[in-house]
Amino acid sequence: MSEFLELEAQDGIRMTWNVIPGTKQDAASCVVPVSALYTPLYPNPAIPVLPYAPLRCRICRSILNSFSVVDFDSKIWQCPFCFQRNHFPQHYSTVSASNLPTELYPQCTTVEYMATAEAGPVSPPVFLFVVDTCMIEEEIGYLKSALAQAVELLPDQSLVGLITFGTYVQVHELGFGLLPKSYVFNGTKEVTKDQILEQMGFFAGKKKPTTGVIAGARDGLSAESIARFLLPASECEFMLNSVIEELQKDPWPVSADQRASRCTGAALSVAAGLLGVCVPGSGARIMAFIGGPSTEGPGSIISKPLSEPIRSHKDLDKGSVALYNKAVKFYEEIAKQLVHQGHVLDLFACALDQVGVAEMKVAVERTGGIVVLAESFGHSVFKDSLRRIFQSGDNDLGLCFNGIFEINCSKDVKIQGIIGPCTSLEKKSPISSDTVVGQGNTSAWKMCGLDRKTSLCLVFDIAKKDGPDAIGQSTGNQFYFQFLTYYQHHDGQMRLRSTTVSRRWVAGSGSVQELLTGFDQEAAAAVMARLVSFKMEAEVDFDPVRWLDRALISLCSKFGDYQKETPSSFSLSPRLSIFPQFIFNLRRSQFVQVFNNSPDETAYFRMMLNRENVANAVVMIQPSLISYSFQSGPEPVLLDVTAIAADRILLLDSYFTVVIFHGITIAQWRKAGYQDQEGHEVFAQLLQAPQEEADTIIKERFPVPRLVVCDQYGSQARFLLAKLNPSVTYDSATPPPPGGDVIFTDDVSFQVFMDHLQRLAVQ
Amino acid sequence: MSRPPPPFAPQNPTPGPNPAGPASSLPASFSNLQISRAPPPFASGGPPPGNGPAPSSIRGPQAPPPGARPFPGSPPPPSQPAPPLARPAASVQQSPPFGGPPAAQPQQMPPFNGSPFGPPAQVQRAPFGGPPGASQPPPFSGPPAALSQHPPFGGSPAAPTQPGPLGGPPYSAAQPPPFGGLPGAMAQRPFSGGSMPPFGGQQPPSQQGPYGGPPQFGGQRPGSQPPPFGAQVAPPSQPPPFMGPPGLNAPAFGPPGWQGQARPGIVPGGMQPPMRMPGMPGNMLPSALGQGMPSTPTMPYSPHAGAQVSTPSKIDPNQIPRPITETSVTIFETRQGGQAAVPPAASSEFIVKDTGNCSPRLMRCTMNQIPCTGDLLTTSGMPLALMVQPFALPHPSEEPIQLVDFGEMGPVRCSRCKAYINPFMRFVDQGKFFICNLCGFSNDTPREYLCNLGPDGRRRDADERPELCRGTVEFVASKEFLVREPMPAVYFFLIDVSMNAVHTGATAAACSAISQALSDLPEGPRTMVGIATFDSTIHFYSLKRSQQQPLMLIVPDIQDVYTPLQTDLILPLSECRESLEQLLESIPNMFENNRVADSAFGAAMKAGFLAMKSTGGKLLVFQSVLPSVGTGSLSAREAEGRSNISTGDKEAHKLLQPVDKTLKTMALEFAEYQVCVDVFITTQSYVDIASISVVPSTTGGRVYCYFPFSALSDPAKLFNDLRWNISRPQGFEAVMRVRCSQGLQVQDYSGNFCKRVPTDIDLPAIDSDKTIMVTFKHDDKFQENSECAFQCALLYTTVYGQRRIRVINISLTCTSMLSNLFRYADLETQFTYLVKQAASGIPSSPLSQVRDQVTSTCINILQSYRKYCASVSSSGQLILPEALKLLPLYTLALIKSIGLRNDGRVDDRSYWVSIVSSISVLLAVPLVFPRMISLHDLTSRDDEDTLIPNPLTLNSENIHDDGIYLLENGEDGFIYVGNAVNPVTLEQIFGVSSLAGVPTQLALEQFDNELSKKVNEVLNEIRRQRCSYLRLRLCQKGDQSGDFFRSLLVEDKAPGGLSYVEFLVHVHRQIQSKMT
Repeated sequence: MSEFLELEAQDGIRMTWNVIPGTKQDAASCVVPVSALYTPLYPNPAIPVLPYAPLRCRICRSILNSFSVVDFDSKIWQCPFCFQRNHFPQHYSTVSASNLPTELYPQCTTVEYMATAEAGPVSPPVFLFVVDTCMIEEEIGYLKSALAQAVELLPDQSLVGLITFGTYVQVHELGFGLLPKSYVFNGTKEVTKDQILEQMGFFAGKKKPTTGVIAGARDGLSAESIARFLLPASECEFMLNSVIEELQKDPWPVSADQRASRCTGAALSVAAGLLGVCVPGSGARIMAFIGGPSTEGPGSIISKPLSEPIRSHKDLDKGSVALYNKAVKFYEEIAKQLVHQGHVLDLFACALDQVGVAEMKVAVERTGGIVVLAESFGHSVFKDSLRRIFQSGDNDLGLCFNGIFEINCSKDVKIQGIIGPCTSLEKKSPISSDTVVGQGNTSAWKMCGLDRKTSLCLVFDIAKKDGPDAIGQSTGNQFYFQFLTYYQHHDGQMRLRSTTVSRRWVAGSGSVQELLTGFDQEAAAAVMARLVSFKMEAEVDFDPVRWLDRALISLCSKFGDYQKETPSSFSLSPRLSIFPQFIFNLRRSQFVQVFNNSPDETAYFRMMLNRENVANAVVMIQPSLISYSFQSGPEPVLLDVTAIAADRILLLDSYFTVVIFHGITIAQWRKAGYQDQEGHEVFAQLLQAPQEEADTIIKERFPVPRLVVCDQYGSQARFLLAKLNPSVTYDSATPPPPGGDVIFTDDVSFQVFMDHLQRLAVQ
Repeated sequence: MSRPPPPFAPQNPTPGPNPAGPASSLPASFSNLQISRAPPPFASGGPPPGNGPAPSSIRGPQAPPPGARPFPGSPPPPSQPAPPLARPAASVQQSPPFGGPPAAQPQQMPPFNGSPFGPPAQVQRAPFGGPPGASQPPPFSGPPAALSQHPPFGGSPAAPTQPGPLGGPPYSAAQPPPFGGLPGAMAQRPFSGGSMPPFGGQQPPSQQGPYGGPPQFGGQRPGSQPPPFGAQVAPPSQPPPFMGPPGLNAPAFGPPGWQGQARPGIVPGGMQPPMRMPGMPGNMLPSALGQGMPSTPTMPYSPHAGAQVSTPSKIDPNQIPRPITETSVTIFETRQGGQAAVPPAASSEFIVKDTGNCSPRLMRCTMNQIPCTGDLLTTSGMPLALMVQPFALPHPSEEPIQLVDFGEMGPVRCSRCKAYINPFMRFVDQGKFFICNLCGFSNDTPREYLCNLGPDGRRRDADERPELCRGTVEFVASKEFLVREPMPAVYFFLIDVSMNAVHTGATAAACSAISQALSDLPEGPRTMVGIATFDSTIHFYSLKRSQQQPLMLIVPDIQDVYTPLQTDLILPLSECRESLEQLLESIPNMFENNRVADSAFGAAMKAGFLAMKSTGGKLLVFQSVLPSVGTGSLSAREAEGRSNISTGDKEAHKLLQPVDKTLKTMALEFAEYQVCVDVFITTQSYVDIASISVVPSTTGGRVYCYFPFSALSDPAKLFNDLRWNISRPQGFEAVMRVRCSQGLQVQDYSGNFCKRVPTDIDLPAIDSDKTIMVTFKHDDKFQENSECAFQCALLYTTVYGQRRIRVINISLTCTSMLSNLFRYADLETQFTYLVKQAASGIPSSPLSQVRDQVTSTCINILQSYRKYCASVSSSGQLILPEALKLLPLYTLALIKSIGLRNDGRVDDRSYWVSIVSSISVLLAVPLVFPRMISLHDLTSRDDEDTLIPNPLTLNSENIHDDGIYLLENGEDGFIYVGNAVNPVTLEQIFGVSSLAGVPTQLALEQFDNELSKKVNEVLNEIRRQRCSYLRLRLCQKGDQSGDFFRSLLVEDKAPGGLSYVEFLVHVHRQIQSKMT
């Protein structure tokens, strides 16, 4: 396992199969697809940043890398992907075995190129706040203070804009010093970029050019006209603060039996249009703060009467929600526009009710936006997350913009697509597979927003047919992959990160053991989770549990050690041993068992899953559980109900929630206040330890997880119990030990699951 | 237009100057005029070749030349101040014929006034405004003058020295004893005059308010009405029409003088108290109306000089009919001896005593007897129409309209036709039933309303109940008249801030005008205001108090507009006044660098409308350029029309039609929600008034036009117009219906309103300047001598939020004699009808056709008279009915008016059409037939007692190179400066010593010299009379402006237009050819 972590540390990449099944058939029989989880901006201080432009292959445009074969004498390098021989240009003339450019050092599989000066001026990042005002005063108050804080943290050079909305959309002209001024758009209509150009006076006093793309300073919009709406944070802080200060609940009256009239869709289309007009192609984020469902205009998800309940998964399954499809379509358009412009949509949804994250998911995910879901703008999940976005320091997000991700790979490998926060650029090439998963049909993707944790799941197709001609390339049994990421670094510069990796492939029936050595269970679990989520959304009548079970059984049949028809003989290699447990938990997870959650929550969970790296995905699938007691130091324990004991404190990290669970005895002591008494320092420390651990987790994680502190038998304990393996239930033959607990469920326990698996695998 | 004139008139009884304005006295002056051509030519049928005036001859068949003759008796005695008639003529200097006795008068007056009123005068409450100063308002107004406050006037008023002319005399003057019979009566008048003083004296004190105050309707402005009457006074008093632009502008425009006067204008109220009834014996005009009159009908009120002029050999230009200025005040009882009395000329000054019929100011008919049959009407060639001006300004001395509250049961009405109870409903059977005078239905009298009849067959309480003895009353509206709470007074201002508007100073002018006018809005919690500006987008401002600064909200979608907020855009004035003032101050700066040239006028109106949709109210729009974008945008059709001449000429009138239905549709929606739009056009180019004016004219508003806008001279007018607009007597969310006796039916209404059902018209707003014309047709016959009644009911909401029904009744005798129709014809009303008809034809027919139509209407009327009423002997003569003797002159003026002449801008014509549609009788005549006076000799006049010198005849013989003349039509004032004017005079009036230094856009300042003061006084007096500030323009000989000025001289021969004499010949010839 650790070797995979090392590989990840170097290149930010983890693959399900690090030894690749070499033919189409082999790959198919391996069940878990050949795929990679790549974190393009994986933070690694060792990655060299090269202040010059990369050298490209004349044919396939791949970049010179350490796997290139170099002929120092003739100053020629051979591209490992297309085998084209390229001459070094003049400025590489001194290259020799002893004088290698950085990108040719074997350990420098990942390098970054920094744009040279002529690439143009550095463009500052743009933050456009889109703020819902249809909320109770209290929520508005929370939101105001959060925004005020964010404004304070904004980098000085970054540009800021503000849009508020309720029944109407208001675009605030922050550059107008005399009085608060805003443009008000009808909430029931979509607003196009052209309308924005026309209606917001961008051509005041000038004739509008009749042809050509018009947008941005480069296309002739005057800087002043743009600076009316987007200003350096340092210049408009006062105005921005005063507008935020005066934010009020949407003044349009709402009758008691109605939902507020909220035109989220129109607001976002105005925001997208405004950015499209002002700063196309340069990094910008729309940060939407939404306090309820959209009820007005395009993208609305529910009608106004409160008598109509908001859609649930059941309604969606039945297809009885007309607005849902319309809204999704609308947001797809918004997504397209934003991607075209290179802008990001971030969503901060804070309401007890659903706000339509499920509908907006497409726009957020395709643009690589951040999503935060909380119950209230007063909740720390929201407040702290927002602060984290602008905070600099160890745990800053390293928000980058406007990325384009491209891949090159060996001929026999094709790319089916990417599941993750990106959009296909529809750049079809020989390496695009006909089978499409996620964003496919291309070899290039747009990543409008990306940060140091953004991870893409690339699903490959092995195209090589079984047969005699299968072998023979001079390069031997290696597949090469090159990942290129151009992006606007958070300091404003354009950069290109190039990661080139190579994996050995094996073919034939004798290769099982070899394959197994390269199997990364965690990566596989993460990939399976993304796949199953994707399929649940994309395929009608898809049965995720059955699909997962089948996959697991097939995998175990292929790679397990057993005698046919003898379940008891079944065993799994350590390479595979915990995979069933991942699948077991995945089956029970929020990704698969959606009916406990609202469509918004599900969408939220999946978006997070789709952008996180393997380690975090694994936590989402199978939470970690740590036990604290007097008997021993903190130790991981099985995610099982039997872990509960009266004198233990458990710390559950399920990624979205961190639970500190006090056994009943501990809880009683705590309530008695022993921790504050002299002589009980140890107890105090015991109480303190999980708290500190939780703080560490919270500090590193984004969005900030929800912290639940609860006691055994308390109502909040459900956050723990729901995640535990129900090995002891209400109808278990053996009662739990004293201080233990039972789970009231009919779900099967892991033991039962394994029994079945063994039985089926050996058939 | 309000009828302010009275104030002065009384004071200056003297012949020379006629305060009332030329127009005013016209009607009175003539008796039959018979013009005959020299027999020979006629006989031959063909006009003499030359055709000029010369050839034709006028021969007064009957009378000796001197016009005065007919009534020889009347004028002379010196003792009688009265001679008014004569003197006008005299002063006019024209023909000897008229001139009678004049001289004496001036002097007489002094005595009266001097003493009685004197005191008040000193008090300085110059009644109406300062202007009179010298002349002395004393008579009536004197006292009221409370003016002290209005410094503006102050200047002028000062001159109290001459308390002069008081009102007393005026009366007498006014009623010239035409007939022998009258003399007796006359004699009394003078006296009565004498007696007046007492009143006058008393009143003064009481009257104060008139000027300064905001319009108070309900209030009892002491000034205006003497306590005695006052039941509950309805809307008697009127606010001062204008006020000088205070603060800011003042200096700039030299307003001071003006301001002063402005107020006075209003004043009328105050002044004439004395006249009232006491003095005037009911019998004054006793028999005047009687049928027994001499064959040449003379109206009682129009005693004068009339005449007949004629010289056998040729038409003497000095003898043809011309208006005579009437300067005296009469008291008019609306019914006498059980019959309708014939009302005095609209332009004369009179005080109405409502004795059953309404004041003629509120409603007057084209004929004062109604033809029994439709055939008779057709034969006469005359129109049958009512001019209804429900909020016409009363004379200050008149009794206010009384308010009657029937409580929950509401006003008593006929159960069949729903007519309101009025003095002509007949109670029978001990009062148990009453018979409706309109439909003839017999109704049960409600039990609460029972009252026994007296021996005379009238209810015993008839004299105590205003609704049974007054022609005009107001009822408190009961619940059944309320579909919702009466609306608050809502004013929403929309200001064009597009690039040109800002550059030309129009935006600043509008902001400043609004800011100053705020204090004239009705006070109280129900007065709400809102504001928005617009260019290619619409900018709303939320003035909510809790925010320190107003919030500016822009609506960018001008195809599909909306309001950005539901509340906070329109707030009670009291809550947002300061922030509004600040905002108005900063708007010009805010848009200083605006580079948006487009203007979304239609969309802005729509947005403003949406903001006030829930309440209704007034939308005041300041527009400076052609609306080029958004809903209802327009194009520069005029230019397109010009460039495409071939179709252009034929279809030229199309440019005077709205370009499409968009604005009309919008306007109908506005009207439905009780939003009235007034548009102030401060432009320097074509803006397509034809299209724009649809909105105000459908919603009860009007267009004001300032073309070409001058930041120097126009802001003062803009402010005064706005101020008068919001402070004049007015009502909101009104519905009006006119009912008439069986036998007639309403044919049509015309004016500025919206009509959804055939019977009613909806008026989102109605004010004192608006007149609605109602035409009738016969659907049955009347019995000879029966009465035909008309009742106008106007349901409206006052600016203070009370729902009222104003009911205006008039009942006229029916006749089957054509000669009676002519005798009782009302020239000014008929002419107003003609003007309105012509205006309504302009957009739909070629101009030449409209002119022909106008001429032929005139000819038909005269021919009818010639054919059926004139004696046979005069076959070769042009015979004019006494009452209509000025018809040819006015017709000629109409043909030459801005609206009907060929040259000129399309917008000017459209504007003319738009103002005519709601113009009152009082202003219609001067609009077409302007008044001209000379200014250079103001200080050397020998008729010092009148403020305004007698008007000059409108022909170029009166224009001398060394003179300075003012010609005004109630809208514009053209100052003509001859090229040989004494530099000293120039210096005095304009402050520059050479003609070249006089700016074309005049802002007449007052300098410290007598002439300048006089000029300003005169000007202010005219403004007051016209309720209009007048746009002053300089005209000089030799350039375009001079040519234009000359083109306004109606009597002159113009290129393509006949001279007056030629026209008479033409008319005569046409009649003759028809006769044969």
